[in-house]
Amino acid sequence: MKFLVNPSKFNKFADNVFLPVLILSIILFSIGLIFSFYLSPDDYQQGSTVRIMYVHVPSAWLALLTYAIMTVYSIVGLAFRIPFGFIINTAVAPIGAVFTLICIVSGSLWGKPMWGTWWVWDARLTSVAILFIIYLVIIFMNLSFENRIVREKVVAIFVLVGSINLPIVKFSVDWWNTLHQPATISKLSKPSIDPSMMIPLIVMTFAFIMVGLAIAILRIKSEIISRKSNLN
Amino acid sequence: MILVKDLSIERSNKKIFKDVNLSLGSGKIVLLKGKNGSGKTTLLKALLNLIEPSSGTIYWKGKLLKKNLYNFFNHVTYIADRTSSLSKLSVQTNIKIWKKIFLSNISNSQVENILKTLKLDIYLNQKVNSLSFGETKKLELLRLILENKKIWILDEPLSNLDDESIDVIAQTFEDHRLKGGSIIFSSHQESEINVSEEVIL
Amino acid sequence: MIILNKIISFYYREYKLNLSGFQDILTNIIFFFVSIFIFIFSIGPDKETISSIGIGIVWTLLLLSSTLSLRKFYQDDFENGNLLIMHLNGLSFGFIAILKTFSHFIFVQIPFLLSIPIACILLNIANDKLIYLFSSFVIGSFILSCLGSISSSMNLMNQRNFLLGSVIVMIFSVPIIIFSVGVVNLEENFNSLISILFGILLIVFAINPWASGLCLKLALENN
Repeated sequence: MKFLVNPSKFNKFADNVFLPVLILSIILFSIGLIFSFYLSPDDYQQGSTVRIMYVHVPSAWLALLTYAIMTVYSIVGLAFRIPFGFIINTAVAPIGAVFTLICIVSGSLWGKPMWGTWWVWDARLTSVAILFIIYLVIIFMNLSFENRIVREKVVAIFVLVGSINLPIVKFSVDWWNTLHQPATISKLSKPSIDPSMMIPLIVMTFAFIMVGLAIAILRIKSEIISRKSNLN
Repeated sequence: MILVKDLSIERSNKKIFKDVNLSLGSGKIVLLKGKNGSGKTTLLKALLNLIEPSSGTIYWKGKLLKKNLYNFFNHVTYIADRTSSLSKLSVQTNIKIWKKIFLSNISNSQVENILKTLKLDIYLNQKVNSLSFGETKKLELLRLILENKKIWILDEPLSNLDDESIDVIAQTFEDHRLKGGSIIFSSHQESEINVSEEVIL
Repeated sequence: MIILNKIISFYYREYKLNLSGFQDILTNIIFFFVSIFIFIFSIGPDKETISSIGIGIVWTLLLLSSTLSLRKFYQDDFENGNLLIMHLNGLSFGFIAILKTFSHFIFVQIPFLLSIPIACILLNIANDKLIYLFSSFVIGSFILSCLGSISSSMNLMNQRNFLLGSVIVMIFSVPIIIFSVGVVNLEENFNSLISILFGILLIVFAINPWASGLCLKLALENN
């Protein structure tokens, strides 16, 4: 498991893994899209708009997952002084921002026909919007510091402080009475979703993970190279 | 008292200096010489544990400096190459603030004498930002007396000063040395200060 | 008792500094009042509307005006090397952060506290709500001071884009605004909401010396 903290080991691992990941992401995406557009049934209440869920839910999960990964790697970078943590931080932040943006946009596309409005100020939506702004601030911080050593540590500290938002996003639907429905899939109880909808959701989630992974590998590799040649 | 062993520092993969050895005992004055960018300031900052060395160790009284940092700080005065006096306040207020901060037991008449020899006494009620470069530098060096500590770490104390003031400072250094204090300072200009060791970076 | 003397001398210095820069603090307060005027002009002078959203306006503008002075939080002391002197004088970076936070609270936020009653008159807020506004502001503004300490120490080395510091404070002040306005508007829930606010204060106060101290150390190391 050393490739998780060591740049050169990671490079080797990435070279082996990149092509399979790319192929897998294409296959999974085509299967998932076919499933979600043609093979899954309409919802009896929501009609065809339920299909937005197959994009919305995986991107929301991945937005949170990306931030969680960044938090872990910030701890790794700051506490154990492993610079690879900072590399991950810089490389992964834009990916998380894009996932959050997809989540927000698809959610409001769904909200217009269902709730009758693009946006409501409930806890879940607001906390996700703040998550998006936090991602943007991280990206801007990465752009605006001139000194690399200061930049990566300051960004890591900011990621750690901002991780307070993660549980708020996750549990906002349970803590407050929100318009947004609570999680339908959880580990502890039987999922309240029909298998015919469950399968495309899972396939799409893995497809999203693979796409994110492929982009992350490319970005991390380029970040490693730019650090080696002292470009920033 | 301070012992530097094989100190090398690199920042963003660029070596600044390599394997510097240095010892600073009581009654010694060490002069750091070198071109611009040779790492004089960096070495002084490393002595204050502000910069993590890439290899090598610094000892204070036989123990690792890192382990008893605040004990070390109790005995050291550091003067950077920029002025720390508060520019919006008058010279008098600045001295008053310093005396409080450093818990100084120097009497007012003593301070006045020093100000007279440095020719700063006429500016006592003026704001610091109306003084010239050299005068703020002299005011800064007043801290050496106010803090009254054993080790002086000075970054370019002689820049912007006229010959007359340099003589005063040379005299102050000599007095401090005879009292058993030790000084390490950096300079790129020749001076008549009586140094016991020169380190060229 | 040396440490006590050092703390007293620290605040003596802060007091002298802030006294000489008193017009800055006054400008902050003027900004606060001018923005209240502009707010009222933009929504119209209808008494009912103003008093219903008045609390929100006061809190928003307090937040905005206190982020204005963030730049001076550490920047001056950092640039003229006073931070380093304080550190060499035996105060750890985390402790400096705590002292500075209290100083910001006393010299920047307390003047706002005094100007709140006047703002309440202008915005037609009932007198009996004043006590709730005060108590929420004392706690909330201290949280803002802590956040300001964190964000301005983060941005010490950021020469290009200082507005980022204000954005950081604003992101994290969202829950403070929610609960503080809630304290005033939902009087029956006063105790529970003020407890939540106090909880946030404790969390932020615990994070502050760690995060700010680390950032200050980083900035001094790489300067």
